[in-house]
Amino acid sequence: MTLKSTTALGLVLGAAMGSGALAQDDALDIVFINDGHVAPYHVAWLSGFEDAIAAYDEAFPDIAITGRWLSAEGSLEKMIQQTEVTINEGPDVMFVNAINVDAFEPLVAQAQAAGITWIAVHSPMDSADYSFTLGDIANGRNQGLAMCALSGGEPFEVAIMLGQAGNPSGEARHAGILEGISACENVNVVAEQPADWDTVKAQTLAENWLTQFPDLDAISGVTDGYMYPSIAIAANSGNTDIQFYGYDGDIPIMQQMEGGQVMADILLSGTREGWNFVQMAYRIHQGEELDKVYDFFTPLVLTEANHAKALENGFPADVTVYYVDQALDVAANGYLEFGPDSVQ
Amino acid sequence: MNIGKILRERNIIVVTLVCCVIFFLISPRFLSVDNMSAISRQIVPIGLIALGQFFVIVSGNIDLSMGMASVFFAVLLGVFFGLTGGVGIGLLAVVVASLTMGGLIGVLVAKLKLPAFIVTLSALFMAQGLSGLVIPRGQQIFLMGGFFQFAGSQKIFGIYLSFLFLIGLCAAAYVVYNHTRIGAAIIAIGNSEENAKLAGINVDRVKIGIFMFSGLCSGFAGIMLSTRMGFVQPGLDGNGLLLDAIAAIIIGGTLIQGGRGTIGGALWGIAFIGIVNNALNLLNVEDVWHQVFKGVVILAALGVNWLLWQSKQSEAH
Amino acid sequence: MTSTVTVNPTAAKAAISGLTLRYLVLAGLIVLASVGFSLANENFYSLVNIGILLRSIAVLFLVSMGMTFVMLTGGIDLSVGSNVAFAGGVGVITLTTTGSAPLGFLTAILAGMAIGTINGIFIGRLKLSAFMVTLATFALARGLALVIYDATSINVSDPTFLWLGGTSWGNIPVVIPFVFCVFVALSVLLYRTPFGRNVYAAGANFNTAFVLGRRPERSVVWIYALSGALAGLSAIVTVGRVSSGQPWSGLYLEFDAITAVILGGTSLFGGRGRLLGTILGVLLYGIIINGLVLTGTNPYLQSLIKGMILLGVVLLDSWTQRGKAA
Repeated sequence: MTLKSTTALGLVLGAAMGSGALAQDDALDIVFINDGHVAPYHVAWLSGFEDAIAAYDEAFPDIAITGRWLSAEGSLEKMIQQTEVTINEGPDVMFVNAINVDAFEPLVAQAQAAGITWIAVHSPMDSADYSFTLGDIANGRNQGLAMCALSGGEPFEVAIMLGQAGNPSGEARHAGILEGISACENVNVVAEQPADWDTVKAQTLAENWLTQFPDLDAISGVTDGYMYPSIAIAANSGNTDIQFYGYDGDIPIMQQMEGGQVMADILLSGTREGWNFVQMAYRIHQGEELDKVYDFFTPLVLTEANHAKALENGFPADVTVYYVDQALDVAANGYLEFGPDSVQ
Repeated sequence: MNIGKILRERNIIVVTLVCCVIFFLISPRFLSVDNMSAISRQIVPIGLIALGQFFVIVSGNIDLSMGMASVFFAVLLGVFFGLTGGVGIGLLAVVVASLTMGGLIGVLVAKLKLPAFIVTLSALFMAQGLSGLVIPRGQQIFLMGGFFQFAGSQKIFGIYLSFLFLIGLCAAAYVVYNHTRIGAAIIAIGNSEENAKLAGINVDRVKIGIFMFSGLCSGFAGIMLSTRMGFVQPGLDGNGLLLDAIAAIIIGGTLIQGGRGTIGGALWGIAFIGIVNNALNLLNVEDVWHQVFKGVVILAALGVNWLLWQSKQSEAH
Repeated sequence: MTSTVTVNPTAAKAAISGLTLRYLVLAGLIVLASVGFSLANENFYSLVNIGILLRSIAVLFLVSMGMTFVMLTGGIDLSVGSNVAFAGGVGVITLTTTGSAPLGFLTAILAGMAIGTINGIFIGRLKLSAFMVTLATFALARGLALVIYDATSINVSDPTFLWLGGTSWGNIPVVIPFVFCVFVALSVLLYRTPFGRNVYAAGANFNTAFVLGRRPERSVVWIYALSGALAGLSAIVTVGRVSSGQPWSGLYLEFDAITAVILGGTSLFGGRGRLLGTILGVLLYGIIINGLVLTGTNPYLQSLIKGMILLGVVLLDSWTQRGKAA
């Protein structure tokens, strides 16, 4: 145990001093513990992570880069257990998407004592070495602002699908959306309900809303997972006017922006986030000084025409916007912005 | 027919209608044609699962696999659609696979005398596992094209085709249940397997048939689920569907020990669940209360069924 | 599963009593499974890991012992997982409002018992199907947990409340000796008291027990209350383990417990089985599912394996019993 942690520490220090040359048997072992493995987003995330591990391992032959991905399937107990065992195994870097941050405080200390770099995913932790955050509130606000700017000034009814009650990420996004919407007078929230990240529930909700509010102008969601069934329901009932505001940057949703009813999305992209983890771990391993809170760059996605229209309607010009083609490119090729090339 | 008797034997109808009136008073939109037709479509997967489950329960068994199995069959249809670009082979595969699964469960239960509860519980886990393993990298698959549009949203005389399919299947089941030897055999098995055997019923064959039908119903539910969703992915909440379906049957007055219950009652139970699910959303009832409500309703229905059964027993004496 | 199949035929020939034989087979399988996972994971046998493993199945131990009582009567209790969340919620809310840990413990156990008693009354007195009744309380207790937590988790820092689930003596979590004490107490209850005889009697044949002047329906109520109380206890352990109350804790725990109990040789039709078997069943099942979790096995593959284990065990049971009859 101690031997292993000293070695790990030594490796990190060695890298920090810029002596990457001695690294014949240099190794970087990354473990990512996630909260679930059900949503398409999770799956994309894993595939990005795995692709990146393989690509980095190939691009940097002097370091043996390995990675493992564990899923706690929504269970805090399982996650704590996985974390404890992982600490016991002593990888170099751990990414943990904690279900409940407070429950992990003792484990962070334990991991650090064992020489493991702890990176808190999504929900930041002060005690962690680094936090990987999404800027959920800012992203939500951008979605809300886009809605204001594209609502056309007339009275505009929107219904918002929320995450599971109590989920910090979902609530931050929700708060952000409301903040963005509050920038204009005409957008009116007529309904909000949690769909528990469940697409079947989302579909039933969408169906009920469409009958309950015949004048509904838009459905906003805190995840693109809700957009699939909502779009299908609207299409089935022949409703071609309603607008959709998504979040996640799922490729099939962004494909429905140009000429479609999806007006805005937030470009996270699971693939891209998975790649990002690996490049972050690699940079730390190389001794680079990163910001303690690493804010994942997550731009708003609009079509070029809609962006122009939004700017006319007072959408802030300083908000970075990706157009659909660029966003699709980045989402599909998670390494575009951060891959081995950009590191070398 | 006095009021007491109506209340006793048609209680679910009364309760459902009273609920409708209450929901209407709170939100007039509840009884709008649009909303009713939305409900009619929402209940199709639950209804199909409940119909298959009905025969299983009447015969004194349970099929826990139906919810997750329907998710698996939906995914299976999607995978074949992704591979072939058409639905023909996918539909065939779903029908074959669902009959096979039901048949296997039936054989294990009837021939090897394994408890249905455990066999179908393990089938639940396997279906859940397979739904994630058969789909390439666990991704979602979009189901575009004529068939899905047609089965999912086509209306005839203002009524959804999928709903008509459910009603048609219920009607067929009604005839089989009430007017054929098979129906009588199912009831006899539910009442007492030994007596059924003595009466010359081929218990094993009937049981296998029942599970094949419940398997087929899971397959149909999966197809309907996929056409309504317009896409499939693993990780859908199949167990929620199963819980709703079982609740519908209990509410519909099927005595859980088996041997009793009517298709009409089950249909009202399905309608009740659909209406309540819809109304809870429509009235913006906080989600956390939905579960409480369902638990209480099932318990109450169990209690009421028991009271009715007791009073009937004493009447008979 | 291959190993079970190969071990068994030789075993069936030997004329050792069925349960003893089963326990030997289970013990063998536990060794096999741990060897298998230790090959996959070099740290598997470290003391730290064994402590982690035992702690992670502590709750499964408690719940499965309650489930054993229930299944000995030929019943089933699907509500225990939800009950763990509900009882934990009641305990944590009591703790945060009154600040008293003992009061929190008491209300958690009472809340668990309350759900159990509802089950027991419907099942024992009204003679309703255990499956349906506990399915209703499965939904009800989860719903109540969501309501009292308002669907969010509540952090707990009271050291007394967290002690049972959170503390370790060296590498041994205190909850393990505690589980052992519960095991001893329940064994005394089951094997040395009239109540215990009622449990077996209720399972063997409800009517005969009644004729013999026993009151199985009253025992049934208490048996479900006991299962509820153990869920309450599990809730306390769970809260201590994760230092917070979680509305979704214990999700689908009942299915793991049922599998472990069946694995331990308790008959689904009641009347046959022992607590020791359950302990071995939990150990084996715990090693397997934890091994899968820790090796990062695809969760969908885990589900498939769980289903195959469950089916394999009942198939094996029916096979050995047929062998005995022949």
